[in-house]
Amino acid sequence: MENNTNSRWQRLVKKLTNPKYIMVYATVGILLLIYLFGSIAYGNLASDPKSNKGFNTVRTITTLFVDNAYLGISAVGMTFVLITGGIDLSVAAVASLTGMFIAYGTTELGINPWICIAFSLFVGVGLGLLMGWVIHYLNVPPFITTLTGMFLARGVCSLISAKSITISNDVIDALAGWKVYLYHLKDGEWVKIKPTAYINFNIILFLVVLLVGIYLLQRTKFGRNVYAIGGNEQSAKLMGLPVGKTKVLVYGFNGLCSVLAGIAFTLYVKSGWNLSLQGGELDVITCAVIGGTLLTGGVGYILGTFFGVVLKALIPSLITFQGTLNSWWGKIATGLLLLLFIFIQKVVVSSSDANRKKNSQTAEKRIT
Amino acid sequence: MSENNLLEMRQIEIQFPGVKALDKVDFFMRPGEIHSLLGENGAGKSTLIKCLTGVHHKDAGTIILDGKEIQPQSPQHAMEMGISTVYQEVNLCPNLTVAENIFVGRQPMKHGQIDWRTINRRARELMARFRMDIDVTRPLSYFSTAIQQMVAIARAVDVKAKILILDEPTSSLDDNEVQLLFDVMRDLRAEGMGIIFITHFLDQVFAISDRLTILRNGCLVGTYNIQDITKVELVTQMVGKDMDAIFNLKRPDVAPGTPDRLTATHIGSPGKIDDISLNVREGELIGFAGLLGSGRTETAELLFGVTHLSHGTIVLTGIGENAKQKGNKKIKNPYDALTKGLAFCPEDRKRDGIISDLSIRENIALAVQARKGFLHPMSRREQNALADKYIAELGIATPDAEKKIGELSGGNQQKVILARWMATDPRVLILDEPTRGIDVGAKAEIQRLMLEMCEKGVSIIFISSELDEIIRCSTRIIVMRDRKKVAELDGENCTQEKILTIIAEGAEAAGGVA
Repeated sequence: MENNTNSRWQRLVKKLTNPKYIMVYATVGILLLIYLFGSIAYGNLASDPKSNKGFNTVRTITTLFVDNAYLGISAVGMTFVLITGGIDLSVAAVASLTGMFIAYGTTELGINPWICIAFSLFVGVGLGLLMGWVIHYLNVPPFITTLTGMFLARGVCSLISAKSITISNDVIDALAGWKVYLYHLKDGEWVKIKPTAYINFNIILFLVVLLVGIYLLQRTKFGRNVYAIGGNEQSAKLMGLPVGKTKVLVYGFNGLCSVLAGIAFTLYVKSGWNLSLQGGELDVITCAVIGGTLLTGGVGYILGTFFGVVLKALIPSLITFQGTLNSWWGKIATGLLLLLFIFIQKVVVSSSDANRKKNSQTAEKRIT
Repeated sequence: MSENNLLEMRQIEIQFPGVKALDKVDFFMRPGEIHSLLGENGAGKSTLIKCLTGVHHKDAGTIILDGKEIQPQSPQHAMEMGISTVYQEVNLCPNLTVAENIFVGRQPMKHGQIDWRTINRRARELMARFRMDIDVTRPLSYFSTAIQQMVAIARAVDVKAKILILDEPTSSLDDNEVQLLFDVMRDLRAEGMGIIFITHFLDQVFAISDRLTILRNGCLVGTYNIQDITKVELVTQMVGKDMDAIFNLKRPDVAPGTPDRLTATHIGSPGKIDDISLNVREGELIGFAGLLGSGRTETAELLFGVTHLSHGTIVLTGIGENAKQKGNKKIKNPYDALTKGLAFCPEDRKRDGIISDLSIRENIALAVQARKGFLHPMSRREQNALADKYIAELGIATPDAEKKIGELSGGNQQKVILARWMATDPRVLILDEPTRGIDVGAKAEIQRLMLEMCEKGVSIIFISSELDEIIRCSTRIIVMRDRKKVAELDGENCTQEKILTIIAEGAEAAGGVA
């Protein structure tokens, strides 16, 4: 039976139709719709060839990732935190602090950039672990704890320098400038894709973090404990799961992601500024939520978050293609998108409740 | 003797602030036996269990498991030593799949990764052993409480436990499911596992146990072989007083011609109840019988204004002296109902009833305060007087009125909730499952209180899943089935057999009494 292809197909269909994936499907569905809209308005599907501005090129996609890799990296860590039912408001401040460490350290003090990065990792992960410890063992709500962490990190940023520091360092320049152009096979020869599209260090870092995130959440006990805590923390405790340790590690991991996001952002803008990424934590949370992560905890997928990042990044990209709209329309569109997803979540949650009621009623009818 | 025991708990003592929760309790258990642990609420059953599972730490005494002394530090620690527990509320994660709920925390690994295939296969095998053919890859929240309970037991059993503690596992199961659980318990007993079974259903105790241990007020009353004790003896031992007085309750009689206090005509709301009519007379106790989900609670919610009426009318007669409304008899919302002299004590005590971090005093004063409005706060002295009055009147076991309600036992919590609504001096009191999950003594106490209130002229609507108590207390009984009122019985017609037939097969089968 194991080798029966028919049953294998059936199993695959059964697996894919599992109601737990509904939110991810919703994200992918809306993403495809918006991509389709872009293709019709500014791409190959345009009725008037003149309005084809090349939306359907590989370049659109790689640019999207180049511009948003830092957001995606942070969103992976945030997904972990949100699944436990927590929240972390310190991520953007920690990323900004990382930028300050690297910029000030390399440019003003002349320290080796690798030491600056190691120091950032130490501080960011340390702060994350500390916040996790405070949240779990001192029982302080995550909102307040990480708000404190945010002010702390932001304060240190300004303490280092109130001015923007442009980085001039060979290693940083090399990392930021490193790119691999994409080729495709044309008439039996490998040629550069036109218009040129490339992958840079940030994209690779994002993909690595993404894969590590998926592995941790789906394939390790740690990841499954994260889900269990989000489902019902009290139950998780009674099932004998290491709740405290897991929560502390989740915030530590998110600290790590914040620092990596900070590194990516620093390479992207090649400077450090104490006021950079203000409000960025909310963008990160938005990505996770439109990717299907429930703010109440227990539900969410890294892959969903990935699509959430792409979806959120696609909107400003579309506005750029449009060309005349004010970029603030991007915020409005993002807001509407968020509203839509909260609405979908509400519907999904209440329909699963109704489902259970139906099931329990049929169970109750079987009386003797 | 001693070497035969799987578990020995000797001279266990646990001291809580103000009370001695356990006083030199002995509990011995042999391998391959089902041992019931019985006692009223607050008798120390849960404390003894929590001591064994490492939630509470004993102040004195020894625990010997399999000949070795143990000191359980946490549920996790106890589980590692082979002591698994299934709690009354399903303590699993609704967002995880059935399979994962069984294996989380001890997943089989392969190449440094969780082996999902093995997990799902073994979960399927386990559920098949419980004669359940369900899709184990679906989230737990997708299934009914009964199935969730079975999953919890499957998890507990699969950890290769030496001792399995089942704390009220049957309270949400129907008869078939209980039988299924018993079959599984017998299988496990045959494998040499020791099962500690805690329940309030005495019939189940006699159906499945080999021995039983009775606790009362934190002290050991005794351990008996099941053949050596009768039900009446058992209850007497648990309660510590003669049960006759308690079982000799007299249901409130209402003279013909007594005026109606509440008349509902063809009320309903889409998706809840289509159409129901009923009347409640002064000093009458109306029992609502029917299964869970048959529409009992939904009717109560309609009457109290929790659910909006889409059609029909509710007329309140002779009440509303203290109500603010003039001539308007319609109930708009629960607050409105409260001001008109209705009170509703909801089903889920933990969720809709108690506010566990507030004191007994605050919990009692809540409804009175709500009716007065927050512009007229009650003075501390008024609150104290109110609380002290009801603590004395209802016999709530507490050192003082300032104890947090969450720290009381279930029966005492229920009495506090009852006091909250009694304090509003209601004319019609709706009680939804007021006796669920509390012990025999407290049940009898609550029934006695209801009947006393009826004597004073209060009308009561009493919803319960236990037919015994409905039959014992009700003047009339309304039987619900499939969200419809299928029969209304009174006097001689109120027999267990008749009601069961109606619930199972409808009123026609029972001879059409409706």
